[in-house]
Amino acid sequence: MTKNKLYFILVLACIAGYAWLYLDLNHTISYKPFTVCLVKLTTTLPCPSCGSTRSAESFLKGNFWEALSYNPLGVLLVLIIAITPVWLLLDLIRKNNSLFLFYIKLEFMLGKKIFAIPAIILVLTNWMWNIHKGL
Amino acid sequence: MDSQKVDMFIMANSKYFESHHLIAIRDRLISLPDDRWPILSTIPFKDPTTSIIVSLLAGSLGIDRFIIGDTGLGIGKLLTCGGLGIWAIIDWFMIMPATREKNLAMLQRVIM
Repeated sequence: MTKNKLYFILVLACIAGYAWLYLDLNHTISYKPFTVCLVKLTTTLPCPSCGSTRSAESFLKGNFWEALSYNPLGVLLVLIIAITPVWLLLDLIRKNNSLFLFYIKLEFMLGKKIFAIPAIILVLTNWMWNIHKGL
Repeated sequence: MDSQKVDMFIMANSKYFESHHLIAIRDRLISLPDDRWPILSTIPFKDPTTSIIVSLLAGSLGIDRFIIGDTGLGIGKLLTCGGLGIWAIIDWFMIMPATREKNLAMLQRVIM
């Protein structure tokens, strides 16, 4: 992974994320009949991140607990989508690569069993909770 | 390194690399000292066919990216329902070249 490739992916992801949130908040997309999740479309079961849009919407409307009850990953996504463009801009202005270095460090840390195993357990638990909730 | 050995390596491992890289890899390996052969023959290359199968079955969960070592991108896919489904579909076509690229990087780390 090169710095430019990572920043390009992040810019694209942020644009897609904001566009998705904009469409959602304008009620252009409705939840029940419309889903882009391939897991849900093929198996009818929710994936670990299903409900993130509803969670993000609740979070932006100030209903923090409702957001967590939909899917805690949605709150994480809102935080990522809020921080990343600012960090990218700061990197661009200061002409350094702190975000890239952070990404490399994070990737290295998550490659270690001590971080990877709890992360996998958390995601699986969240997935089971999603299936239980019937998102 | 002995050209016969190198040709054997290329024949056995050609599926792990892009075909247009093979000639350059062969030339580089021939100029390599003989004592690197044991390391070279034990590099755990990732199979692009495995990647595509995983991508088709569990691409939305980012597992294809995790197995080739792109942990960050895997998390990105996992958190976003496979990039709203679009990234997962793009990766059905991109994962094999990405795996071969990873294999080349792995080989370069050993022969450099």
